[in-house]
Amino acid sequence: MMKPLFFTNITVPVPKKEIYRRLGYRDSVTKIALRQKQEIEHYIDEAAAMIRLRGASRRIPVHKATRAYVALKGDIVFRSKHVAAILKSAEEALLMGATCGSTIMRAIKKYTASGNIIKAVVFDAAASEMADAGLDWIMRYVNQDLTRQKKYLGRKRFSCGYGDFGLVYQKDIYRLLRLMQLGVGITKDFILVPEKSVTAVAPVYSART
Amino acid sequence: MKTKEKIISTLQKRIIILDGATGTELSKRGMPQGIMPEAWALENPGILKAIHAEYQDAGADIVYACTFGANRIKLAEYGMRNVEEINRKLLLLANEAVNNRALVAGDIGPTGGFVKPFGKLEFEEAVAVFKEQIRGLCAGGADLLVIETMMDIQEARAALIAAKETTGVFVMVTMTFDQSGRTLFGTDPLSALITLQGLGADAVGVNCATGPEGMQAIIKSLKPFATVPLVAKPNAGIPKLIGKKTVFTMGPESFAKEAKKLITAGANIVGGCCGTTPCHIRLLKDAASAMRPQAVVRKSVSALSSARKAVIIDAQSPPLVIGEKINPTGKKSLQQELLAGHFSLLRVLATEQEAHKPALLDVNVGVPHIDEKKAMQGAIESLAGAVTLPLVIDSANPCVIEAALRIYPGRALINSISAEKEKLRLLPIARKYGAMFILLPLSGKGIPSSLSERKRIIRRVFNEAKRRGLTKDDIIVDGLVMSMASNPEFASLTLKTVEWARRVFGVHTVIGLSNVSFGLPNRQMINAAYLAMALRKGLTCAIADPLIVRLLRKKMIQKIVSRKGAGPEILRDCFPGQSQRQIKPLKKIARIEDKIYQAILEGNRDSIEALLKEGLAKGLGAYRIIEELVIPAIMKVGDLFDKKIYFLPQLIAGAESVRKAFSYLKPHIKKDFVRSRKKHLILMATVKGDIHDIGKNIVILILESNGFKVVDLGKDVSAQKIVAAALRYRPDVVGLSALMTTTMVRMKEVIALARKSKLSVKFIVGGAVVSAPYARSIGAEYARNATDAVRFMKGLKKAKVQAWASKS
Repeated sequence: MMKPLFFTNITVPVPKKEIYRRLGYRDSVTKIALRQKQEIEHYIDEAAAMIRLRGASRRIPVHKATRAYVALKGDIVFRSKHVAAILKSAEEALLMGATCGSTIMRAIKKYTASGNIIKAVVFDAAASEMADAGLDWIMRYVNQDLTRQKKYLGRKRFSCGYGDFGLVYQKDIYRLLRLMQLGVGITKDFILVPEKSVTAVAPVYSART
Repeated sequence: MKTKEKIISTLQKRIIILDGATGTELSKRGMPQGIMPEAWALENPGILKAIHAEYQDAGADIVYACTFGANRIKLAEYGMRNVEEINRKLLLLANEAVNNRALVAGDIGPTGGFVKPFGKLEFEEAVAVFKEQIRGLCAGGADLLVIETMMDIQEARAALIAAKETTGVFVMVTMTFDQSGRTLFGTDPLSALITLQGLGADAVGVNCATGPEGMQAIIKSLKPFATVPLVAKPNAGIPKLIGKKTVFTMGPESFAKEAKKLITAGANIVGGCCGTTPCHIRLLKDAASAMRPQAVVRKSVSALSSARKAVIIDAQSPPLVIGEKINPTGKKSLQQELLAGHFSLLRVLATEQEAHKPALLDVNVGVPHIDEKKAMQGAIESLAGAVTLPLVIDSANPCVIEAALRIYPGRALINSISAEKEKLRLLPIARKYGAMFILLPLSGKGIPSSLSERKRIIRRVFNEAKRRGLTKDDIIVDGLVMSMASNPEFASLTLKTVEWARRVFGVHTVIGLSNVSFGLPNRQMINAAYLAMALRKGLTCAIADPLIVRLLRKKMIQKIVSRKGAGPEILRDCFPGQSQRQIKPLKKIARIEDKIYQAILEGNRDSIEALLKEGLAKGLGAYRIIEELVIPAIMKVGDLFDKKIYFLPQLIAGAESVRKAFSYLKPHIKKDFVRSRKKHLILMATVKGDIHDIGKNIVILILESNGFKVVDLGKDVSAQKIVAAALRYRPDVVGLSALMTTTMVRMKEVIALARKSKLSVKFIVGGAVVSAPYARSIGAEYARNATDAVRFMKGLKKAKVQAWASKS
């Protein structure tokens, strides 16, 4: 079982298109005045400046995968059909996590409390998409590293709290990725804090040359 | 002749050929998967030596020893220690294999750890890791070192610094760019070149990730700015996953044909990476033997870089603006943040400036009683992820500048070096880290008040710099701007200094623009006029507020630079008829009713109160404004949102303007009207275990703006608390929100408890994963979004009215 890798300053272009989409923008349908666009762009830039994207990843060999559960080396068992399906023929599981940090969450709270909901909402969307972009970045990095080892990463990833992948497993992922080292905590209900922190699992396959 | 000189001499005459892939050859010859190639090679020396010998026979001038991953961090993953000995042995095996018929390069790959500011590995630790490996490589007799397949420019810098601080051999550095043309860390080829050649790499280039065709454009784009030979070591095409096999599709003939184009593009050193074989190298050698290398076109280049952007300083281009706002002088909040070791505000200042497109950002963290070295390093680490612009390291303390240059992941500009003794100490440091510097014409004897004195100081510093191996391309002379308020003569002296430095001495120039107007009124106009005059004298850069400099648009600058004229004329050009300038509205809306309606529709929160005041003054009446303008406008906003013509921020902006309107009109509304519009009450909560409440907050805002009364219970609220509140407030509806499937199930618990408590209230549920079927299954209504919730509430209201009408 490899040690976790930490990425303390993930640099990704601000995913503006995705942020707009998350806010409901639809190409060639939504119409927006220049003044409003400038305001939103300004909020996105401000949010991006507050986000310090950090992350961690760890590869763990798949011990056994059935239709109902998957067991990883080290007695880690995920009882989820969705995850089992994803990891069915994988050699390893890639656990990954990314966080936007607490500054952006403080700002969202501040603007929500002061009634500037539009700013809070744009900040929220920007942070959500940045966290996702952080996971995308980790997957690209791991995939490049795997190519030299004659392995490759599956395209899909799955997060706790979705489908039948219980939030309870976030506790294991949190521990294995040592996310506390990135300033991330976990509540008794297995929710990561600061809120804009995400984890996911993806399959690593072997590719014979 | 030493090996390094031999390589340099050979490069002037012909193309140098590198070997091909070692890893894929080891796999072909029996190396199993999932093991450390270095360990397997040591256990199978005959196989490794055969591969080296085959590459040498094929025509490789340089073979890479099998030490790519032989650093402390990678070896430890396989339980291996004794780093120096492993490297020494692998080097010796390569030397034995080629038997002096080719040079042997000590091969240094990434550690797999991440170096600050992009990872947790301390920069000095990374340098130590590489030094350890390099000592082993040198002990084995490495003729040169190759730092390769680097994705992180900071890790490449650490390895290069380790090499330069350990040995004097020839060092090549090659980075890996993916198909987007950048490394995974976002570094583009030009930034990598500027950084690495500045830091002392003897050759720079690209390896792996793509085939030769994918590298041609990169090599061609780098050639005009390269002060060192360029390297290209492509894969045998892009690997394709066919079934479960990784296949490199490019055969030796095609590879050699495409690789020739690399040489035409300007590569001086070529070889093969993953998937290439001795056969690829043989044909490459044949193809290259008839070709002449393209010489390195320049000895020096005025250029700066960050990890993600390079800036070429060219006297023919419009002036470069150096953003001046990251400076705590006079900024109390920034001072407090820096003293507390926080950098959020600094990042905001950086991104705000970046939006106005300066070329560089000046970074000064000098605050009394601060650990400036630590603060500067923290600022550099923090800004590395926030902005793409190269940085100007601004400090009066040479130790701070030295510490910053060591960890800065690019080629920085030092602000500044003067003729003062302690400042001249920075010249060899600038040389070591490849930094450019601002030459400040000061000698420690007050402000030089004549051009001749300034010229003398500039020449003195330049001569010292030249002695250290720096060139005029590494220097930007500061015109030394003083406030016109204290001595108007200095403004003219600065312009003369700029003109002489640029036109006679032949170096780039800079001024700290805002100093000129210090203590004067109309600073913006004075600054712009003075900038225009300095541009006419040949100014290259200005340290200024990027927003102000944007007043001088590109076309205007070209006009200023190209035509004759004096300051006042230029001033008129910069601010044509400013005092008479009026903003002409695009479409004039005359009626106040239309203006109010339009303000809500456009979510114009800033103007709504003034418009309402005007409307009331014109006798519209609060009741009419609400019923005929505000409510129809917000309904229209909801309609546009449903049709996706508006998106969420526009919906919220509309709701916020309505909220402002209600608040403003409240004192003007008659009591009977309030009674006639008895509000429906909805209780809102995000269920237990869920801390995501932004969606719920949006719904609340939109409901309120549509005239409904909302009690917000917050997030992570237990079923007991929700039911208790429902018993207390007796709402018309309870709204529940959840983001995740795992917390969505709590909605059912709330409804079950409510029914058990004999509460017949209606429930409406929503959230990212909630669906209509799920809502039905738990006995609730479903709202896809905020406007759905409004529709539901309005339906409820209508139903009540109808029920009342039928009863009566």
